[in-house]
Amino acid sequence: MSGITISNLTKRFGSNTIVDDLELTIGEGEFVVLLGPSGCGKTTTLRCLAGLETPEGGSISFGDRTVFDAKTHTDVATHRRNIGMIFQSYALWPHMTVRDNIGYPLKVRRKKEALRSGAVDKAAAMVDCDHLLDRYPSQLSGGQQQRVAVARGLVAEPDLVLFDEPLSNLDARLRDQVRTQIHQLHQRLGFSAVFVTHDQSEAFALGDRLAIMKGGRLEQCDTPQRVFDEPGSDYVAAFIGMGNRLALTRHHEGWQTANGDVLDLGSRSPERGGADEIIARLRPADLHLHRSGEDAPQGSTVLHATLVTTEFGGRHYDVLVDVAGERLTLQADTREHGAWLPGADEGAPVVVSFNPSDVRTYAADSASSAERETVAV
Amino acid sequence: MAAVLAAPMSRLRSRGWGGRIGYLVLAAALIYMIVLPLYRLQSLAFADGAQGYTSQYGRDDIGEVIWTTVQLAFFSLVIAMVLGTILAFATSRLPRRFAFLRIVPVLPIVLPAVANVVGWAFLLSPGPGYLNAAMRHLPWWNHLESGPIDIYTPTWIIILTGFGLTSFVYLFVSAGMASISAEHLEAAQTSGSSTIGVFFRVVLPLLRPSLIYGGGVALLLGLGQFTGPLLLGSNTGVKVLTTEMYRRVSESPSDFAAAAAAGSPLVVLGLVVVLGQKLLLGDQTRFVTHGGKAFKSAPVRSRWAVATIIVYGIVALVLPLIGLILVALTPYWSSSISWGLLTLDNFRTLFQTSDIMDSVVTSVVASSIAVLFCVPIGFMIANLLVRGRRYPVIRLVADLVSALPLGIPAVIFGVGFLLTYTEPPIILYGTRTVIVLVYIVLMIPFATRLQMTALLALGETYIEASATSGANSFTTNVRIILPLMRPAVLSAVALMFILLTHEFAASLLVRSPTTQVMGTRLYDLWANGSYPLVAAMALLMTAVTGLGVALAMLIGGRNVLDNL
Repeated sequence: MSGITISNLTKRFGSNTIVDDLELTIGEGEFVVLLGPSGCGKTTTLRCLAGLETPEGGSISFGDRTVFDAKTHTDVATHRRNIGMIFQSYALWPHMTVRDNIGYPLKVRRKKEALRSGAVDKAAAMVDCDHLLDRYPSQLSGGQQQRVAVARGLVAEPDLVLFDEPLSNLDARLRDQVRTQIHQLHQRLGFSAVFVTHDQSEAFALGDRLAIMKGGRLEQCDTPQRVFDEPGSDYVAAFIGMGNRLALTRHHEGWQTANGDVLDLGSRSPERGGADEIIARLRPADLHLHRSGEDAPQGSTVLHATLVTTEFGGRHYDVLVDVAGERLTLQADTREHGAWLPGADEGAPVVVSFNPSDVRTYAADSASSAERETVAV
Repeated sequence: MAAVLAAPMSRLRSRGWGGRIGYLVLAAALIYMIVLPLYRLQSLAFADGAQGYTSQYGRDDIGEVIWTTVQLAFFSLVIAMVLGTILAFATSRLPRRFAFLRIVPVLPIVLPAVANVVGWAFLLSPGPGYLNAAMRHLPWWNHLESGPIDIYTPTWIIILTGFGLTSFVYLFVSAGMASISAEHLEAAQTSGSSTIGVFFRVVLPLLRPSLIYGGGVALLLGLGQFTGPLLLGSNTGVKVLTTEMYRRVSESPSDFAAAAAAGSPLVVLGLVVVLGQKLLLGDQTRFVTHGGKAFKSAPVRSRWAVATIIVYGIVALVLPLIGLILVALTPYWSSSISWGLLTLDNFRTLFQTSDIMDSVVTSVVASSIAVLFCVPIGFMIANLLVRGRRYPVIRLVADLVSALPLGIPAVIFGVGFLLTYTEPPIILYGTRTVIVLVYIVLMIPFATRLQMTALLALGETYIEASATSGANSFTTNVRIILPLMRPAVLSAVALMFILLTHEFAASLLVRSPTTQVMGTRLYDLWANGSYPLVAAMALLMTAVTGLGVALAMLIGGRNVLDNL
């Protein structure tokens, strides 16, 4: 086995193309996260890898072994693909004990040696469930069930481990615990994995590479750091947390908002000769709030806005402001702004500033309004 | 066309070969067992210039027969729908300490239809019926010589049939109610609706799909009703299509062509309903939902619910049983009970008559064997229907054919099997085998639907988890699906055993004088006028069924009947 290759993969349900000519390689031992909103084709891609869906076109190879090829009508059955899969609903069989659940992949693959040498106990110990071996799934908490499911997915040392939103059914605290455990297991065991999620923090935490999908295609595929620093498109930027969007038009001194502010985007300004209308993307944490008339820090770019709402969030306020009809969210430090912000009226003029190096810009025609709605999931 | 064929054919190369061949064999077997007898009947009815149709539909009384059939079906349907729905609503509103009463609406199923009918005859026969005799003591009826009720009239045949169908409607409707969340009802109540308001404005509209489905099944059962009209209506000239079929076959010389023609309207109607349901419901996997809080947890408990269920239990179960017990314990049936003469002699006679004991053995053996075959056959069909998207054509055929025995009356299958297996190439007349075969056919819809519901409820994830763990479909079936479906399978076994040990209509046609089942032997006793023995036999049938159900509960746990 040396990596997984997906070429030209196409899957339709009726007239809907769910996966559209997808290209992706997964290196041996690599942890790839498929990230995107619901309906982007990430789960379908995963199920095609598992052989649970039959694609209409393209091919999938595990190393030099072709498991699916539409042209040669190759379609290796799921149980012959040597994979492990962890499901969102855990899918532990309720009539079997934890021991039987974890041992099942070894039993049905006739790995008697592994069974005898205590592989089940080791796998259970790996996920801290060795004390639960004789219990039934109904006697376990959600987090324990999903850890057992992880052990079951890994116990037979499959060529590829598939995770289908495994953390979505867990509450916030457990989600972080199980996530950390999966990360440690991957670092220790080095299995190849594809992990499907719509949660950017899971994706950043776990992935060696993130594959962000849109409409059945790859929008960007890169390391978490690169995706975070340089989102490849307006869609990706919106999806990974750059929720603030500003439409700007070219002005002879820089870029102009709809209410006439002219902004200097510094090195982030698109070159002359490029698009004349752009979308600027900013993270809420990169926007700073000032009272009207207050000076913004040196070198920052300034926007004139009006206050819409303020919500108390502990260390900070979540503030919603309006810039020429577009809503921006930002966080304002409670100690710094506590004196005036809670008393400020809706519609009060405020100033918002940001460092030009924090902005990311995209040609306006690259993102239609319909796509923005999809991203807002 | 070539392209259409090429696409699925090509997929065979890597997977699906075994499955496709297996399913093809299954579909062929189903067609042979279910469709062939029907086809032979029709080809006979159309032979010699449709002689069968000419002779059957040329009769003077044919209009009356059809009118009676339609009336019987329609009015008994109305009774069953109203009672079944009220009962389902009542069981959902039982106070906690009366929760055990939930079993009551299903219990009458344990009482065989023949036993129920003769039990009521013992109570409401115009002369010696016990209830009639009691009512004649009332001041406004004390001048009567007989009556006031005559159970041998169409009205009372309709009422009894309606009572018999109530349990079926109840099963469908209560299943539908289980999928209504308690919040729907609570929302209506907090908005100010009374119990009656909630029932008419919320429950009934939400139940419409189950009511239509259950009503469709009950209508077909009503149209194919045989036991009541035959036992109660023969002497008073009440004729329906099914009894006409029986008459044509049992008169000498028997006229199969006319019998087949008599059954045709029922076959056509059955086909229409089965096809209509397919068109209306479409792909059943669409109906898999994730329920919220169950309907059962509705907070308002009502005393009327307890009363309704108890009254129903008394009328549907206790009264006919009392009639049977009284007659079974007397030397002869008369309107006055001589308490001093009560005796167990009838039961002694029953146990000493070897052909009666043989009929018990035949019933139990044939039913058990048929059930043993039906479970795997039903499982395969259910699997094909739920997970066979790769084989759309085979799947459609299996879906329709497996539903036919529910839509087409048992009498017609009885005549079809009699015709098919009294002639070469395979002659099985007079053997237990032909009884087993017809029983298998009759039970295929139940074996299929019950296991299909369980498979749908199981969902895909457990199965996918097994496949991704490396298990092939055989291993997945044996180690994952079957253990998880055990309660559903045992429910199906219990239901099929009950229905088969009660089976009367098809058995009456395929039996021979030497190979009888309990129901047909009881009918012979009835026709001979040996009423005390009839009563004892009816109780014996009930006891055999009860033992079967008890056994199923012993293996499958107490809630085997709950799963129905």
